[in-house]
Amino acid sequence: MTLKLKKFLSDFIEIMKEDFPLQLRGIIKDARGITCLQTLDSDKAVIQIRKREIIITKGTPKNEINVRVALSRDCLFKIIAGKMTLAEAFYTKEFDVIGDPQTLLRCYDMWIRIISIARTSPRFHFLIYKLR
Amino acid sequence: MKLYSIDDTIQLDAFNIPSIFDDRLALYKEWHDFVFYDRKTRIFGLLNFGIHGNPFDAKRGYGSALSFFVDPQGKILTGSKIIPLRKLQISAYNPDFLGEDVEVTYKKDNTFNIKGTIDKTSFNLSLAVILPPESSKEIVFDVLDEQKTISIGMIRAADEMRKFWENWVECPRLLSSGEVTLDGTVFPINTRTGYHDHEGGRFDWGAPWGWDTGVLLCDPSNAKEPVSARFLFYRYGPSDELSYGGFIVEKKNGIKKYFGSEKIEITRSGRFSGEQSVIPGITRLIYPDYKPCIPERIVFSAVDGSDNLNIIFTPRAVCSVIPSSINGTLDTELNEMFCTASFSGSVGGKTYKKTIPCWFESVRPRGSVRNYDFEA
Repeated sequence: MTLKLKKFLSDFIEIMKEDFPLQLRGIIKDARGITCLQTLDSDKAVIQIRKREIIITKGTPKNEINVRVALSRDCLFKIIAGKMTLAEAFYTKEFDVIGDPQTLLRCYDMWIRIISIARTSPRFHFLIYKLR
Repeated sequence: MKLYSIDDTIQLDAFNIPSIFDDRLALYKEWHDFVFYDRKTRIFGLLNFGIHGNPFDAKRGYGSALSFFVDPQGKILTGSKIIPLRKLQISAYNPDFLGEDVEVTYKKDNTFNIKGTIDKTSFNLSLAVILPPESSKEIVFDVLDEQKTISIGMIRAADEMRKFWENWVECPRLLSSGEVTLDGTVFPINTRTGYHDHEGGRFDWGAPWGWDTGVLLCDPSNAKEPVSARFLFYRYGPSDELSYGGFIVEKKNGIKKYFGSEKIEITRSGRFSGEQSVIPGITRLIYPDYKPCIPERIVFSAVDGSDNLNIIFTPRAVCSVIPSSINGTLDTELNEMFCTASFSGSVGGKTYKKTIPCWFESVRPRGSVRNYDFEA
């Protein structure tokens, strides 16, 4: 059964806490204040980076959201498999991002750091493929 | 000097699984490589089956399977798969690797049966071991015994191998038959050019060293080709200034000739611009502008007394595998190249001039070479 986005993100953060606590602390420090509404197909979840933790919720007041990211599962797995770059996905509108440039850059930096860590661990690999 | 018989393959080629009390378990890695080129169907294949990380920790250890095929038009088809430990069976008593959708089984008649599907490629192959296996120990004995002179390059390389690999075995010749399916098209395979090696050790992919190894996929029935020709160089640091190893040519009469690295000049030039694939795909997300720098030509020139060799390797298709360091800071690139090797020279009075397909593996820190013309 396909994993729901909120459950996936919560499990992802749990693995980060367990296996990469130092790196997670660094990411939280640099990304503090980001509240991202993540959409995957019709699945939605909010990622809130607070002072000391990352909270995954179903929703939050609209005025707190400063980044909106939307993509399909198909697009996500094309990017992960290297069949499509982020730029290509962005220009073909398969990957939609809304937010002010500074927050977007911080958000991008956060994701690249997370992905760099994730590729060193099979736990993340298996979790990501449960999203399929 | 042969230390082993074909029947020893089952034991020698088994997985050297560490004890639960061993140190550096998280750095453990061990794999099988199978390579072949069918000259009739013009299919090149490289299959790799490995286990990585602590084999007793189901959360952090894992198995992997990788396929790299080049079709008759020169198109690359690659695939990779990560296998959870709960779905993987390996043994300390035989070379079997039984994973999800892929399996290597070693039969009593000294044949590897390999079956599986990885992405758009599938394979069902039978690879019979037709020459005894060799280990890193045997290379030292060979150099000392057959050459009667000491090749410093090979001795140092063999010494490095012992430090580096806890288990290193090769089967120099496999009779490969069966079929592969590439993107829906079935190709029969029937060739005597198969090669297999098995390596295992405990190290991190963030280290700055690397190696160049490869095999000319010779046809033993062709009078114009040697029985076998292979090479191995270990490199300290990302540049090629400090490297040790050699080139080994085996003639039809069974005599081997070693050219140690002190007798070989290696030059690399140009930049390869042909078919190139990078695995895993996520590498493209993290390094969008990264494309491994592969030389257009690699030339080995060796002279030892009246013997001489000149080998020009021309890569035709490249698959770069980028494993990451355990701490995610540095990576290594394993550039798996399908090449043609223009092999010419004279060894023990026998003259060679032939172009032979070849597998060339060049391993170095990721992005450590940006321009071979500059180096040359």
